[in-house]
Amino acid sequence: MAEAEVRCVDFWCNEFGMRVRIALREKNVEFEFVEEDLRVRQRSELVLRMNPVYRSIPILIHRGRPICESMNIVEYVDEVWSQPGGTRLLPADPLERAHARFWANFVDQKVFDAQHRFFMGRNEAKETAKAELVGHLKRLEEVLGDKAFFGGDEFGLLDVALVPFSSMFYGYEKHGGVDMEVECPVLARWVRRCHERESVRSVLPTGVNMYEIHKFFYGIE
Amino acid sequence: MSPPVKVIGAFGSPFSHRVEAALRLKGVPYELILEDLSTKSELLLKSNPVHKKVPVLLHGDRAVCESLVIVEYIDEAFDGPPLLPADPYDRAMTRFWVDFMENKCSMPFWLAHWTEGEVRGRFVKEAKENLALLEAQLKGKRFFGGDTAGYLDIAACALSPWLSVIEEVTGVTLVDDDEYPELCRWAKEYASDEALKQCIPDRDELVAYFNVNKERYKMFANAMAQQ
Repeated sequence: MAEAEVRCVDFWCNEFGMRVRIALREKNVEFEFVEEDLRVRQRSELVLRMNPVYRSIPILIHRGRPICESMNIVEYVDEVWSQPGGTRLLPADPLERAHARFWANFVDQKVFDAQHRFFMGRNEAKETAKAELVGHLKRLEEVLGDKAFFGGDEFGLLDVALVPFSSMFYGYEKHGGVDMEVECPVLARWVRRCHERESVRSVLPTGVNMYEIHKFFYGIE
Repeated sequence: MSPPVKVIGAFGSPFSHRVEAALRLKGVPYELILEDLSTKSELLLKSNPVHKKVPVLLHGDRAVCESLVIVEYIDEAFDGPPLLPADPYDRAMTRFWVDFMENKCSMPFWLAHWTEGEVRGRFVKEAKENLALLEAQLKGKRFFGGDTAGYLDIAACALSPWLSVIEEVTGVTLVDDDEYPELCRWAKEYASDEALKQCIPDRDELVAYFNVNKERYKMFANAMAQQ
């Protein structure tokens, strides 16, 4: 049987991979989900071959050629599957594109890092990370403002970059008492709006499942 | 008429250089505003409230921050030779290696030069592995971008004019001709390119700058290495 034209190597709870799968669904691209079980320490032969530099997922394999790094893949998907009048994840205007990329970079550098330290840390380190995490999310809430999406009226690159982290909000409350409805009500409303989209609904796991597996990864009782 | 372009930069910063390099390759005139990073100006703090860092590109009343975001903006907002390839897969490959340069290469490379003793060894090994991957990307090409310099060349600028300066000041040489002939050849191409050499800082001034900051860089590097 011929190999699928588009394959996405990922694991269900990988926030970076969710970005790719949401983007593919937004563009109505049919793809094969190739599962790489992150609970297993050793990476598969496929991952080692397709991503020798980082040996990580997600990996998009398009006609046998790999593309790695989640935001890079999302931009590739946006460029390759673009039709006049079709969904575009990156806006047309260069300044808006720069802003989307700047804040997506902020999500990667700041939000993910703080989230990681929040789950890794104990006592003071955990509290510090928690405060930073909430601070970064509040900052993003200011960027959203009164727009429907970060992209304006349209769901776009920055929405794709951030929405997977919303599947961890339940975990933030369970792990550290962070109630996102209270801390970032505008962001919480944005999350609900994103969930109206089939792409987001079909990709994002439940908060309960995300918390359970992260407890496993971080060795939390 | 296009709104005026200004770059808020700092002497000696390869990040600032990337922005100037992109503008020069596109043929866009600009005014350079040099910051004294020990006392940041109102303009910088207002233009980059999130990170409070250089470089910042001011294009009319627009402010764009983060050197690589700025380079992509320059490529998209201005006419002139493209800094990224046309084909989406080639673009994805370019962005991949730029990201590699920025997020995987830079830190071990820096630490391999500024730390000492046993600690250094670990970073040297990692830096050399990374350099080998970059070396492989050059095979046969004049620049990473092909015949002309592009996004990845600009992103890798610290491996050209800055490299020999850091080597002189620290006494550490990682990138030698025998092991990395392509990178060494590329570094010379970069430094002698008509457009790029106009925004490369004067070598003697750069050496002096690094000598002044030597002890501070060593201290920070050793602190980072502990983490």
